[in-house]
Order: sequence, then C-alpha cells, then structure tokens
Amino acid sequence: MDLPIGIYLMQATHGLVYGMLLFLVASGLTLVLGMMGVLNIAHAAFYMLGAYFAYSVTLHLGSFWLSLLISPAIVGALSILAERFLLRKTYKGGHQLQLLLTFGLFFILGELVRVIWGTAPLTVPVPKLLAGDISLLGMTYPVYRFFILGFSFLILLGIALILSQTRIGIIIRAAVSDADMVDALGTNLPLVFAGVFGGGAILAALAGVVAAPFLSVHSGMGLDALMDCFVIIVVGGFGSLWGAFLASLMIGELNSFGILWVPRLAIVFQFLLMAVVLIARPSGLFGEKE
Amino acid sequence: MNNLRTYQLGLGIAGAVLMLLVPYLFPVMYIHLAVEILIYALFAVSFNLLFGYSGLLPFGHAAFFGAGAYVAALIFKNFPGMSLLLTLLITPLFCAGIAAVIGFFCIRLKGAYFALISLAFQMFLYAVAMKWRSVTYGDDGMTFNRPDLHLPILGTVSMGSIQNVYYLSLAIVAIGVLACYLFLKTPLGNSVVCVRERDIRASFLGYNVFLTRYIAFLVSGILAGLAGGLFALFVGFVNTACIDINMSMSVVLMTVIGGTGHFLGPILGTAFYVVFQDWISSLTKHWWILMGTFFIVVVLYLQGGLISLVSIKKIRLLVSRWSKEDGNHIENR
Repeated sequence: MDLPIGIYLMQATHGLVYGMLLFLVASGLTLVLGMMGVLNIAHAAFYMLGAYFAYSVTLHLGSFWLSLLISPAIVGALSILAERFLLRKTYKGGHQLQLLLTFGLFFILGELVRVIWGTAPLTVPVPKLLAGDISLLGMTYPVYRFFILGFSFLILLGIALILSQTRIGIIIRAAVSDADMVDALGTNLPLVFAGVFGGGAILAALAGVVAAPFLSVHSGMGLDALMDCFVIIVVGGFGSLWGAFLASLMIGELNSFGILWVPRLAIVFQFLLMAVVLIARPSGLFGEKE
Repeated sequence: MNNLRTYQLGLGIAGAVLMLLVPYLFPVMYIHLAVEILIYALFAVSFNLLFGYSGLLPFGHAAFFGAGAYVAALIFKNFPGMSLLLTLLITPLFCAGIAAVIGFFCIRLKGAYFALISLAFQMFLYAVAMKWRSVTYGDDGMTFNRPDLHLPILGTVSMGSIQNVYYLSLAIVAIGVLACYLFLKTPLGNSVVCVRERDIRASFLGYNVFLTRYIAFLVSGILAGLAGGLFALFVGFVNTACIDINMSMSVVLMTVIGGTGHFLGPILGTAFYVVFQDWISSLTKHWWILMGTFFIVVVLYLQGGLISLVSIKKIRLLVSRWSKEDGNHIENR
C-alpha cells in the first residue's frame, strides 16, 4: 500500500469518532440489558429520533446548541412514557414479549419518522463555532469531529463517575449483577429501572444530535445503529460497560478501515468479528460465564 | 367427542371446498389476494415452527423467503426451459443449504441473541442482493416470464392465468403446511416442543438439544424458501423488497396477530393481515403505523392472538350447547 500515513491516521480518528458515538448509544442498551434482561430494540430508534429532532430544532430555532438540550429532553420523556405504559406491562410475560414489543415500537417510530420528515436524507449544518478544519500531518481534518470525540469522552467520564462514585451508581451496578436481591433490600427497583431506561434514551438521543451534522440524517440510521450496537453487546459481553466501550472502538475502527480497504463489503468485518467471538467466547469479552 | 370430530371434519371439508371454488366465486382481484394469503401463510407457518414450537424468535426470517424468491427468479430468468416443478424443488433445497450455514451459528444462541443474529444474517443477504448487481440487479430487481407447468396427464398448464397460479399455489402450500403439521406429529416434532419447554431437562433425558433445534431450523428454512419461490412465480418480479427487514417484520406481525399457540394461528393471522392491509392501504399511505399499533395491542392484551378468540374450548362449549346429551360428557372430561 502506498497510501500516506496521514490517511491511516485520518481513518483511525474517524473510526474513533464513530466508535465513541456508538458507545453513547450502546451504553444505555447494555445497562438496561444487564439490569432487566430486556434488549430494548427501540433504543436504536431513540438515537434516530434524537438526530431528527436536532434537525428540526436547528432548522426552526437556528441553534445547534439548543437542540443539544431540547432533543434529548423530548426523547427522554418519550422513552419514560414508553417504559411506564408499554414495557412495564410485559415484565411478567417473559423476554420474547419484550422483544416483540420493542421491535414493534422500533418499526412504528421508524415509520412515524418517515411520515413526519419524509424519506429523503437531511443534513444538519455544522455549528459555526466548530466549522473549519485542522491540518494534521498533511491532511485536513474537520474540527467538528474532534468536538464529537471530546464531547463523548466527557460523557463517558460522567457515566463512569456516576456509576463508581454515587449512591445511585452503586444501586445501578448492584441491580445489574442481581436485580432481585436489590429489590428485596428495599430499593424502589421500578423507579431505578425507569431512570436508567430514560437515561439510556437521553444518551442515545445525545449521540443522535452530535451525529446529525457528522453523518446524514436518514430513516435507515436506526437500523444501522441497531445492528452495530448488537454486535457491540455480543462482543463486549452482557451488561458490561467496559466491554461495550472496547467493542464500540473496535467496531468503529473496523468500519472505518473496512471502508478503506474493501469498500463494498465493509459490513462483513463486523460479522466476522461477531462470529469469532461467538465461537471462541460466547459470553463476550467481558461478560460473565453463564 | 364424536360430535366434535364430526364438526371439525365438516368444517375442514367446507373450508377445502371453499378454497377450491375461490377462482369461480370471486373476481380476479380477490384471487390475487387469495394467492398472496396462501404464500404468506406458508411463510408464517414456517416462522411459527421456530417461534411457536421451538421457542426461537427469528427477526430475520425473510432471509430464507428472499433467498427462495431470488433462486427461483434466477432460474426462471436464466434457464427458461427448466421444469417449473423442478425449480420449486431446487429452491427449497438451496434454502436448506443456507439454513444449514446460518443455523450453525444461530442455534447456539437463545432469546434476544438469536433474534438479532438472525436479523444480522438477513441484513447480510440483503446487502448481497443489493450490491451484487451483475446477478441480482440490485434494487431495480428483475423481471422474467413465468414458465408453464408441464403435467403428465393434464398437459401444459399456462401460468399466465391467475386461476392456474392459484391452484398451483394451493396445492404446494397445502403440501408444505401438511408436511409441517406431520413433522410436528412425529416423535422428532414432539421433541422440538420438549426442548423448547426445558432444554436442560431434555438434554438430561438424552435428547440432542442442538440437533433437534437445528432440524427444526432447517425445516423452517425449507418451507420459507418454498414460499419465496412461489412468491417469485406469483409476482413475476423480484427485488430486494422480498429480502428486507420489512418482510421479516411482516411475518412476525402475521404470526403474532394470528396467535402462536395454535397450528392454524399463523394462517388466520396471515388472512387477517393481507385483507386488512388491502383495505387500509386504499385509505391511507401510512397503513403500517396502524398495523404496528394493532400488533402492539395484541402483544400487550391478547397474547394468544386472534385464534385464541376462537379457541377449541369455545368450540367445544358451542358443540356441547348444540347437543346437550354429549355436552355433559365433554365438559366433565
């Protein structure tokens, strides 16, 4: 390969940016999965909704920064409503019911998006403050991507601090490892769960908002994110936040370099990674053995 | 009990006669709907063999339906001289091969993992159909002429007429559905249910859990592929729509709305889905939202599906009301 080193660096950064975005989406998913055993398929739709709300808010109010506040707030409220009035009814009915319900929700939200915003891809302008490029080893690189990187690292730090340092974090971690015991010890588990569910949706929506100027906003982005997140959870392991973090970066880099080397079949790499992990270590890199 | 059997038999015969008479009773538009119901019914039955009977929920079942449609379409297009029945034999066999590969990876997993990895494989096949333009023509799809059916006694039957397509579909779907029913009646079919109920206990009892699930997966793939092949013949056109996630979703909707607990549930659900879709899509373009909402209502409040509204207990109750003297005997059973 006679590609300059700058291209590799650029692809690596690109993969890192995409991986961090994926982590924002996957973190909520994996926490909910670890706590209640619910794989919330509609989670990927929350990410998509975040991006679409960002488009509308930026268009009508003219401020990207405002959308960073408004969009997650709307999506968070929606998710808590969905948890309270739909999902909560299925906890007694088994996991397949939850899968069916969230799969149905995922589709309805996707269809609603098509009704409201149409099927054409939309673009959200990069905020003025972050427009422009940085030159790096002879390549130019958009500032906005460094913003995504910094922003998601801040969020990651925030999650890590909340989970490791606060009382809420202790309860959440305890509930991930044994929900029944936490319930028996007198914690209001449904409330904690609703909180984690809403928090996860807010993270997903945040990822959607910052992704909107970076990727195009289209109705297939929910499905893309769903497949990526699923691979992340399989590779990283059930309910493991650090597993999800590492797997997100792996998927981001694989995606990025896959597109560089084999543009048409980049999707294959993820499946190969997933297949290898499933055969060699079915519980994922950081998952507990069943 | 005898009375019940008689009623069931009578109902079955009446249904069969009605199905045979459809081309004479209804205008052409409804015959199209009937063929659609037949094909999707076979697809939904194959789905329910996994979901209802094996306890595995595949979100990417269109992989096999679409693969069947593509294989049949490629044969129709590239080998126009090939016998139609041979094509409809090759198609499910090819899908069995695909199911053998996919199943090898999927079957080890359960629940959400199984659901999504099957969706991942379907997305992969979708990507192949989309990107391999020289063979599949991508999302433009491909058209072909429907081959005629050559039968030993009846001679050449033209597939240009929808009536003949209907009868061929009826025959093949009946064979497929019956095969699935008989498979479930065999000891192997029973062990599929046994493994669903408690896989660890089943393996203690000496059942090979992996192999049992694997065989159910293969049979399901074969039937779905057969439905896909029929679909290609019926539509005369195949594009990526028959292997995309919406197709996977529709079969979930049909089966769950109909009811997974009864063998006939998916068939009832399919009939409802196709007729409802036909009616509502003439009113609004976004019928999908209504169908999805209905699906969620069924998931939350009517977990037995529509078929549970006409359950065997209620039929027994009705029968016992009709014939008082046998009724006491049935109710005390």
